[in-house]
Amino acid sequence: MAIAKTLTREANLRPPEIRFRIWRPGPVLLLVPALAAIAAVSIYPVILGLWLSLRDTTLASPEDTFVGLANYQRILSDSQFWNAWAHTMEFTTASTLLETLIGLVIALILTERFLGRGIVRAAMLVPWAIPTVVTSKMFGWLFDGQNGVVNYLLRSFGLIQHHVNWYGSPDTALWTIVIADVWKTTPFMALLLLAGLQTIPHSLSEAALIDGAGPWQRFWCVRLPLLAPTLLIAAMFRALDAFRIFDLVYVLTGGGPADSTEVLSTMTYKNLFSALQFGYGSALSTVMFVTEILIALGFGIFLLQKFKEIGQ
Amino acid sequence: MHKPAYPHRKAHQSFTPESALDQDLRRDKEDIRANQKPPDGIHRRDFIKRTGLALAGVTAASTLLPSIRRGMAAGANPTEITFASAKFFGKETIAEVVQAYNSSQDKVRVTYKELPPPSSSTEVHQALVQQLARRNGDPDVFTQDVIWIAEFAAAKWALPLDEYFKAGTMKEYFPGVVDACTWQGKLTALPWFVDSGMLYYRKDLLEGLGAKAPETWDQLIDSAKKLTSSDKAKFGFLWQAKQAEVLVCDLVSFIGSNDGSILKSDGKTVSIADDAAIEAVQLMHDFIKKYQISPEDVLSWDEEPSRRPFTAGQAAFLRNWSYVWKVAQNPAESEVVDKVGVVPLPHFPGKKSAACLGGYQYGVNASTKNREAAVEFVRWMSSPETQLRFATQLGLCPTRAAVLDQPQIAQEQPFMQQLKGVFIGAIPRPVTPKYPQVTLVLQSEISRALTTGDVKGALQTAKEKIQAIVKA
Repeated sequence: MAIAKTLTREANLRPPEIRFRIWRPGPVLLLVPALAAIAAVSIYPVILGLWLSLRDTTLASPEDTFVGLANYQRILSDSQFWNAWAHTMEFTTASTLLETLIGLVIALILTERFLGRGIVRAAMLVPWAIPTVVTSKMFGWLFDGQNGVVNYLLRSFGLIQHHVNWYGSPDTALWTIVIADVWKTTPFMALLLLAGLQTIPHSLSEAALIDGAGPWQRFWCVRLPLLAPTLLIAAMFRALDAFRIFDLVYVLTGGGPADSTEVLSTMTYKNLFSALQFGYGSALSTVMFVTEILIALGFGIFLLQKFKEIGQ
Repeated sequence: MHKPAYPHRKAHQSFTPESALDQDLRRDKEDIRANQKPPDGIHRRDFIKRTGLALAGVTAASTLLPSIRRGMAAGANPTEITFASAKFFGKETIAEVVQAYNSSQDKVRVTYKELPPPSSSTEVHQALVQQLARRNGDPDVFTQDVIWIAEFAAAKWALPLDEYFKAGTMKEYFPGVVDACTWQGKLTALPWFVDSGMLYYRKDLLEGLGAKAPETWDQLIDSAKKLTSSDKAKFGFLWQAKQAEVLVCDLVSFIGSNDGSILKSDGKTVSIADDAAIEAVQLMHDFIKKYQISPEDVLSWDEEPSRRPFTAGQAAFLRNWSYVWKVAQNPAESEVVDKVGVVPLPHFPGKKSAACLGGYQYGVNASTKNREAAVEFVRWMSSPETQLRFATQLGLCPTRAAVLDQPQIAQEQPFMQQLKGVFIGAIPRPVTPKYPQVTLVLQSEISRALTTGDVKGALQTAKEKIQAIVKA
């Protein structure tokens, strides 16, 4: 008994971090199922994708050999890839910027108190709740070249002379898709930013008001800096999501006309599932994967800086 | 009359050896023929017992016979095979047709596996490829879009059928379909049904002009221009140029109508940048820009968007598949009931009209373990009787010319008979196992040619890309 007590006392006297080094199988065992599930659905497919991207596997032919980096070389010299890459970047930048700006405006309005705010907040979420395929069909009709209401309105106001063929012209097709995406996803941004705005203590704005700051100064010097981390996180989510744009393009244009709306996701899909080129398709999706990581890293670094600033 | 001695065939089966049962059955038939004369021998006791039921027995015998046979078949272990097909339906479903085959004989028993409908053809293709690539003989029989035949044949997934279906038999089918079912001289698919692109026109509008249905593109342009300039029709000629498979279908018929091609029949020589093809694609571009008989909207239209203005009475001509006919004749959906005619697509002067061949065809899995049974089944499925059934019950156009002439078709699907001329001229899309890659190049480059007007440049690029694909 006495020995046991001494031992316990000694154990208590040890610096606390040593306790973590003691091997205890129980907790680790409990983690195994979760780890196995993650490995099966996330790590294994990524590694298999990487492995496939180094082969020339085509499902419908006997070809299936290791080709090293040949698929990646082919990507670099594939004009269609760069075309799709440029469209994806254009789309990501345009939709993220527009959605963040409009979302911020909506959030600033919805954070104020006014009659029927609850209803407006709920109504705002409707576009985001609609399935994208339905949104796509809806915008297909809105921007229809012959009977679309957009053409009708623009013509009634005398802004255009002839009907514009929105989805049939390489100049307008991608922008029409950006508009559809902005309509659909701005509520998501507004919601995130609204949450961010509500964490900023009201007293700060009030203090600024007492110090004689105008509305613009209160926004620019008080609320915006404090909202910046939320803004960056929301924009990062949006950018990563926009980079994978698939359904709107697939339903509305199928990548056309003349590849003017082809994005990386639709191009990868065509190579993987229409042409069944698993090797090349996997290389394309790996490139997408890496680009996504880079985008996330870019935002991440920016975020860390912001956090440091606020910390100081 | 001993027949009613065994009113419950299950009990009967369980203790009667098969040979005895056979005899029984034969006697059954003889009995009926011999005006219910009771037989001598082993059945006498039964006969005596059951005389009172003799009259009922006569009727029972005739109704029970087929079911007894089926019961026997189960006892004799019929060959089990599987059949995978995209989903088609009309008054009947494919499952019902397969069921009819199962009950028509007792040697083969087919299990039907339903795939998605043909509108989701990418999914159907994926499902088939995944199954066939396993080479485990399942499904034994499948149906395939004409554009996959070369791919499946080159992968050695489809069994060559030449030894089962001789050249003489194949003469009964439309030649274009048989061509499409043949890969490197071997028949690797058996025709099921055919569809193809065709020209719909407004009879009333053309009569007003005193013009006939156009045979050449010039005639079509002429009529279309007259009708649009006099505001009789909002659009002249509607077709499909969305960057999708349908663009390749349109392309094949335009180039074919100038006696050109995309890929020569050797499967290696790319002819998409030859003069005939350039001329044809230039014409497609000119319909929109030069003659302005087609709206720019065709550049983003596939089948349905182009069909709607036509059945709404806004257009003079439409290129589309055979399904449009039914829509056009339905007063609930159409403003042009009884005003629509259909002819083969026009052609260049001195050339022949060409239609893009579509439709699904049968294939037998090369890894099947039940080859004879599978061949028997496709033989039945492709027989004149079954094709007639598919035509009248599911609205699928037969691939046998003779079936199209049947009076039942004239009665049930009168429109089909007008299409005979169209189907005879139907030509396949480029025949190559790499078709899925070739079509992606064609879709993107032809779309580029039509939107930018740089026809030669786009076709040259297409040629180089396709060459790289088919050479590999």
